[in-house]
Amino acid sequence: MSVRSDYDLVIIGAGPAGLAAAIEASRHDLSTLVLDDQPAPGGQVYRNITRNRGQRHASAFLGNDYWSGSRLVDGFAHVSANVLTESRVWQITSDRQVLFSRHGKAQNVRAGAVLVANGAMERPMPIAGWTLPGVMSVGAAQTMLKTSGSGADGAVFVGSGPLFYLTVWQYLQAGFGVKAVVDTAPARMRPEHYVLAIPALLQPILLLKGLRWRAAIRRKTDYHAGATSVVIAGEDSATGVTFQDTSGRKQNIPAKHVFIHQGVVPNVNLTMATDLRHQWHPRQLCWIPQTDMFGESSVDGIFIAGDGMGIAGATAAALSGRLAARRIIARVKRRPFFMTPFWRALKWRQAAIRPFLDSLFKPPDDWRVPKEDHAIVCRCEALTKADVNAAIALGVSGPNQLKSYCRAGMGRCQGRMCALTIQKMIHNHNGGSEEEIGYLRIRPPIRPLTVGELAALAHEDAGR
Amino acid sequence: MKMPVGKDRIIVIGGGIQGCATAYFLARRGQDVTLLEKDHIARQASGVNAGGVRRLGRDPIEIPLSLASMDIWRSLQDHIGDHVDAFHPCFYLKVALDEDGQALGVDRIDALRKVGFQHEIWLEDPEIQRRLPHLSCPTYGGILVEGDGWALPWRIVQGFASAAVRNGARLVEDCRVISLERGGSGWQVHTTKGLFEAAQVVNCAGAWAAGLAALAGEAKFPLSPYAPMLAVTDRRPAILPAVMGVLGQTLSLKQLHTGQFVIGGGVRAHANLETSRGEVDIPALAASMNLATTLFADITSARIIRCWSGIEGYMPDDLPVIGRGSQPGLVHGFGFSAHGFQLGPAVGEALADLVMGQQPRISLAPFSPNRFETV
Repeated sequence: MSVRSDYDLVIIGAGPAGLAAAIEASRHDLSTLVLDDQPAPGGQVYRNITRNRGQRHASAFLGNDYWSGSRLVDGFAHVSANVLTESRVWQITSDRQVLFSRHGKAQNVRAGAVLVANGAMERPMPIAGWTLPGVMSVGAAQTMLKTSGSGADGAVFVGSGPLFYLTVWQYLQAGFGVKAVVDTAPARMRPEHYVLAIPALLQPILLLKGLRWRAAIRRKTDYHAGATSVVIAGEDSATGVTFQDTSGRKQNIPAKHVFIHQGVVPNVNLTMATDLRHQWHPRQLCWIPQTDMFGESSVDGIFIAGDGMGIAGATAAALSGRLAARRIIARVKRRPFFMTPFWRALKWRQAAIRPFLDSLFKPPDDWRVPKEDHAIVCRCEALTKADVNAAIALGVSGPNQLKSYCRAGMGRCQGRMCALTIQKMIHNHNGGSEEEIGYLRIRPPIRPLTVGELAALAHEDAGR
Repeated sequence: MKMPVGKDRIIVIGGGIQGCATAYFLARRGQDVTLLEKDHIARQASGVNAGGVRRLGRDPIEIPLSLASMDIWRSLQDHIGDHVDAFHPCFYLKVALDEDGQALGVDRIDALRKVGFQHEIWLEDPEIQRRLPHLSCPTYGGILVEGDGWALPWRIVQGFASAAVRNGARLVEDCRVISLERGGSGWQVHTTKGLFEAAQVVNCAGAWAAGLAALAGEAKFPLSPYAPMLAVTDRRPAILPAVMGVLGQTLSLKQLHTGQFVIGGGVRAHANLETSRGEVDIPALAASMNLATTLFADITSARIIRCWSGIEGYMPDDLPVIGRGSQPGLVHGFGFSAHGFQLGPAVGEALADLVMGQQPRISLAPFSPNRFETV
């Protein structure tokens, strides 16, 4: 396959949103390039589905939602788009150059339109002990399950949220022993949850699925609802989990493997680095790019689709990808765009169940900032809560000033593991609105780029 | 914020290295000084530059100023207090990688000798290899300045700002100047934080300085804003004890105390004065990266974790504007064209002299604000 230097459309990410958009664009003969991190399409949710299909019986434990991705992946197999797997996009410029690294070389394409469909990432869960060896995110545990069918026996799961219950359920289905599940969601639904549950009834299948997972987990594991004050114990590696149960008793569960999770948030580093306008989502407690109803951002020709524009799940992601692609097709072909049924379907689905899930699994304030002064906040620079608070006390207006004082957020994770925590800590000190505190200013390259890869661009220019 | 008009009230505009150093020297001499900054201290080029503290390679016209500044850098402790790890003197080495580079270097040393400067010396390749055992390529010799080094720019600028405040200066951030008018016995400075009055105003507004001068009724300065770019890598084993450049090419390379490499080299991105932001053009850094890996193969696998830029003002002759403006009670210090960080302390001292009607110890004639009117 020869890669051109410009395309009508460059899609970043081959998860549900990116796949659906590529299929739609291909139907209308847009020259399209799809760039994705992984060796095969599917994104996080349908990761490795093409290979797992060959041994479907052996990986049946992944469940029907996972296998429903087959349709998209099959459709994608026939698209006319150029597809570059194992491509790490590290910058989009505001004039729509897409810069990425692949197999040790930096590359550069121009796009008539860019669709950012790079999904979500797990919200950091900065509890004491979260950086100890033996502690891993639930998402990472699920990735291992999907890529190699591997897992750890005797792990303790700590946290809450749809992905949390799904992964525990998959772990059980796969036959791994789960030592305990420490659920940090409130043990009982509060009145506001019941109110929001009414529209959620329009999504009975989703609701029932969640109830089924939870029931299975209650039945098959040492399950603790409504846990608070969770701490991961251990000196050099994790040795156990301590928490307070609903009756106020302190519990201690020894464990070598602890998997933590408190929901997912849009992966905004790429769009932040391009300086697209973003807004604070008070219900999901995260930043989302500002878009119009078709997903077009504040910069002309740059679109967002999928969980990157706000968490809504795989089905909604595919719909939003299709919708953005339709809009881009109209733009390229210079013909009018008609509202499609997709739009209504998308809105319907988003509106029905999300507020309920968002409110049920909203991370409480004391999960967003650790309770203990010695708990690590910024992993890369090894800064504790006390370190960061000492710098905040000097008087800072936001994360960008803070980093000059103490380097918080300046390491190689580029804020993915700390920026939301730091923002909340400044908010706790300064008051006002969280949106005004703002996010850490994200600078490209937002994915690994070596000096050698970038140097290779100089050789290329010299050869031209 | 209405304040009584003080006879000797001085307002310094711009919280970069020049403005902060000026405010510091004025405050230390007992003057009533207020520093106004539109964002926060060291937000632009002063706070995020490569941090090179070098006399090497300067235009001979500014060498006296640079040497004077080095004296202040060496006694930085006495001025800004506890900033031991903010300035790291080592040595600065600009190597030749071919015969052209060698000729450039040798000619430069000769030219400097003729006008009496001895601080740059020529090193042959064996000595360079001895000093830099991790170097991956042979050289054609190079220029050395012993005692040049690098600093953490934000720490230094903040250090001067804090020292100014300790000596009695007032610091007002998030304060953008809206208009500048002659009134009474001095200036009326209208800002987003109210009215300030002063006998004298010092314009250290960097890339925004020409706009400020225009507000004050001065002739238009040919100042252009750009955003010089830099990249920093992840932490690597220590292999580079010097700050390095390459003769005839633009590269600035150093390794911080953290092990991180900082790589740049005169590449400028577009700057937006309205939003105070620049968009980095990472591919434009490719040539600098290539040069860095030629010097040290070990850098090839280092991972770039961030590229950034800070907005700076450039003059057509690459020399700063330092001197009295055509309006009474107005002093300028801007247009350092991306090599003003090391000069900052001496410039601050010189501007303080000008404001107080004293003779600066270094002649400022070559930096006259009027030099473009006669052309």
